[in-house]
This record gives sequence, C-alpha cells and structure tokens, in this order.
Amino acid sequence: MSDSKNPLSPHLQIYRWQISSLLSITHRITGILNLFGLIFISAWICSAGIGENLFEYFSILLKTFFGKFILIGFTWSMSYHLLSGIRHFFWDLGYGYEIKTANFSGIIVVISSFVMTIILWLIGKGLI
Amino acid sequence: MNASRKWILQRISALLVAPLIVWFCVSLISLSTSSYEEVMNFFGNPMFSWLTIILLVAGFFHAKIGLNEIFEDYIENEKIKNIANLLTFLLSIIVPLITIILLLYKF
Repeated sequence: MSDSKNPLSPHLQIYRWQISSLLSITHRITGILNLFGLIFISAWICSAGIGENLFEYFSILLKTFFGKFILIGFTWSMSYHLLSGIRHFFWDLGYGYEIKTANFSGIIVVISSFVMTIILWLIGKGLI
Repeated sequence: MNASRKWILQRISALLVAPLIVWFCVSLISLSTSSYEEVMNFFGNPMFSWLTIILLVAGFFHAKIGLNEIFEDYIENEKIKNIANLLTFLLSIIVPLITIILLLYKF
C-alpha cells in the first residue's frame, strides 16, 4: 500500500464501454453502496438501543416511499455484489476466463441479482 | 498489510459476510414494519445479536479493504490517499464498535 511506484489504473473514460468493464465498475459501486447500507443498519440498530423516540424516526422513514427505495436498493446492491463476488471466486479458482464465458456469467449475475432481490423480499414479507 | 494477505482476508471476510448479510437483509425487510418491542426482542436474542456482531465486524472490515483498493486505483495524490485511508479505517472501527456496545448492553 505504501509502495508509490504502483501504477494507477488506466482512466475509465479512455476505454469503450464493454459488458466486462461495466460489470466490474458496478461491483465497486455496489460495494460502496453496501458500506452505506452497513452504516444505515448500524444507525438503525443504535437508534433502537438508544431509545424508542429515536427508533420511531427510523420506523417512519422506513414506511415512506424513500425508505422503501433505500431498502429495496440495498437489497439489490447487496445481491449484485454477492453474486458478482461469487463470479470473482470462480476466477480465483481459475475458471471462467473465456470471453464468451465471462460475458455469459456477467449477464447471469445481473439477471440473478434482480431475481434474488425479489426472492429476498418475498421471504422477508413472509410470502414464501 | 501486504497485498496477498489483503487478498486472502478480503475473501475470508466475504465468505463470512455473504450468508450473514442475506439472513440480515431478510430480517431487516421483515423488521422494517415491526414495532419497537419486536425489534428489541429480535436483538435481545443472543444468537441474533452475535450473528449481527460478526456481520458488522466482518462487513466493515471487508468494506475497509475494498475502499483501500479503490483509493489505490483512483487517488493519485499520496497525501489525500493516506487521509482517505485513515478516515476509512476510523469509520470501519468506530461505527461497528458503537453499535456492538449498544447491542451488548442495551437489548
């Protein structure tokens, strides 16, 4: 980390957008969003620990459209990052480097992330 | 921390976080419309509160390594990068620490 001779990543805008680079940057963006999710979760837990009055603000927020948007957004962001992470694990093990395979697994990750979001919400709501 | 050690720790923390965050996310969706008492009861369960603690520690740790990695790629100025890394470090310690203390003593 302290090695200043490490080259910087080539700037994103130089490259033509491809599915591989788009999915890669999405992995990073969802990672950052998930950190905000963790902070939100921590704040929510803390509010309950501190007292009912503070917790009520969160309850009201979570029942609004904006609150639902945050929750659904976090569910998707977490799902995408997790599934994309599994894709990274396969690469770590040495599989899936063929361009066709990598593009295919990428598309599978995107589709699955939405499916997973829906499934988690159905479970969370007690519908399945 | 050297790069290969970071690489391994990032994957170990990912394996810990993955099942826990799925469980927590479902619980959060369910609890988001629950009353104060129900939420207090949920975290009052030692197994749930300890799983949450593991999730927070591993999750913030994973986020810290990830952010360091992103800063390494996009921040050219060493000074700014060091400050960003320091702030990330502090954030990844303080936020879970406060939450864990509350989880252990207030539920």
